[in-house]
Amino acid sequence: MVEASSGGMQQTIQNKRLVPESNTYLKSIKSRHWNKIAIYSVLIGWSVIVLLPLLWLLSSSLKTQAELAFNIWGPPKDIYFLNYYLAWTKSYMGRYMLNSVIATAVAIVLTDICATTISYALSRFSFRFNRVLYYLVIAGMMIPIHSAVIPIYIMAMDLGMQNNLYALGMIYAAFRIPISVFILESFMITIPKELEECAIIDGCSYSRIFYHVILPLSKDGILTITILTALACWNELLVAMLMLGQPLVKTLPIGVLGFIAEFSAEYTQMSAGLIIATVPNIIFYALLQEKIVKGMTIGAIKG
Amino acid sequence: MAIVNLKGRRRTIFLFLLPGMLVYCGLVLYPLMQGFILSTQRWRTLTRRVYVGLDNYVSLMHNSIFWTSMEKSAVFVIGTTVLQLVLGFLLGYLLYHQLKGYRIFKTLFFVPVILMTVAVGFIWDYIYSPAFGLLKPFMEFIGMGDRYFPPLADPNVAILFVILAHSWRQVGIQIMLFYAGFMNIPQDVIEMATIEGASGFKMIWYMILPLSWEVSKMVVVLQITAALRAFDLVYVMTKGGPNHSTEVLPMHMFVHAFENFNIGLGSAVAVIIFILSMTLTLILRRVMQRETLQY
Repeated sequence: MVEASSGGMQQTIQNKRLVPESNTYLKSIKSRHWNKIAIYSVLIGWSVIVLLPLLWLLSSSLKTQAELAFNIWGPPKDIYFLNYYLAWTKSYMGRYMLNSVIATAVAIVLTDICATTISYALSRFSFRFNRVLYYLVIAGMMIPIHSAVIPIYIMAMDLGMQNNLYALGMIYAAFRIPISVFILESFMITIPKELEECAIIDGCSYSRIFYHVILPLSKDGILTITILTALACWNELLVAMLMLGQPLVKTLPIGVLGFIAEFSAEYTQMSAGLIIATVPNIIFYALLQEKIVKGMTIGAIKG
Repeated sequence: MAIVNLKGRRRTIFLFLLPGMLVYCGLVLYPLMQGFILSTQRWRTLTRRVYVGLDNYVSLMHNSIFWTSMEKSAVFVIGTTVLQLVLGFLLGYLLYHQLKGYRIFKTLFFVPVILMTVAVGFIWDYIYSPAFGLLKPFMEFIGMGDRYFPPLADPNVAILFVILAHSWRQVGIQIMLFYAGFMNIPQDVIEMATIEGASGFKMIWYMILPLSWEVSKMVVVLQITAALRAFDLVYVMTKGGPNHSTEVLPMHMFVHAFENFNIGLGSAVAVIIFILSMTLTLILRRVMQRETLQY
């Protein structure tokens, strides 16, 4: 039943269909002056709630500690960039970001490889255990990472894989496989069979079909799972915290955690550090806004 | 597909499935099984474990903190779900009117969702903090300054303030889901209802809500299972304190396994989280299966 509804939903999100001007109901609401004012005030109210904490953090990061003490609300009198310089140089923020990039990149590459190959096999071939395997993989979406984190921790200790960003990336990838297969399989199943049949008659091998026909046609789906994986891994805290102990291999979330503990008395520098840590996410969102919203709502619907 | 070499085909399928299934089984299914086994063991020393059957579960049942943690998880799940459902529905519905500039609001509302959870936790920590936080001056501003207290230090209300922070971050998803759901309602149905004289709350109650029931259902299921897994924000904001008042189940597991190093008890909690999230998903899907209006 989820699938049934999500199909239509996906379509809406993709078409970005606007409510036609002819909709008399919405028109009648919009035509009344007070309605408009009411709607706008709620929307603006929530925007303020969303933005205020962020703007306040930004303004705190640009004040001196002394100014913050008597001016909590207002914008900074003089813009004070030293906080950023100190936050950047006194911590390993750059290093943390690089580490996060490594772990996330490994996770993305591995997730994409695993999910595309599994989805290809499950969506284009009929064989006896096809559906069994499909549900086995899909069931993984219901497994919270907390249920597996203790054994993973022990396993990593036994194998000496702690403080290893590649191992962390692999663990991330493993937990991204179920949802990625779910999204990709439903994507690939819609590709017309005729394309492949022609290729087979032309003497193409399955791996070439996969590479030259299926992959290019699934570009959108692959992009979606890549975005979802990137966001999830970049923000992940628990597994990273357990896997990484040494300061130089920390990813951004645990780096920030340590940074805050260390600078807990200096609010302005802490704020600057938090802003720095937030910037990559904001840039990512600014660049891929539509795709992210679409991906995350599809991901949520399908999950 | 007559010209297919069957043997080659079987090998191809196998080779395509192999890498992904290895990673998935090795790092998801195997640890999950291992977790079940660990939950039936007690660690005598670092290397020696003994089988103790259901002892870990029994001792959890007799542990009052475990029940506190169940209760807090329930409060957290219900609180965030109600808050996010109401806000998501309302804001999604208002966006649906597509007044001038609605795209800007849409963009804005989704911003918190993509922020790093750790950063969000700290931001809200500051907002609530007595030293430089926004909450205190805000309460002074509305004339309730003498009522201020550091909310995260009060065991009675700390969880509510964590819920606020969590919902602030997550509600963007619900807004978008509801919005997409409303956009999916066929225009002519709404049109007909208008002609029949439906308007305002009647319209929402008898038309919009039933017609977007599929979405509402999905939003509830997703939100509940997601809230049951919430760990990051709690860890950053309160670490489960004060006095276990925000110790939701994943946090409880963390404390057992990685602060008290009682792997057996921690694993038992992990198994309980797994079972809860499985059964809740299945039950909710059943319960909420109500006849969807056909259009």
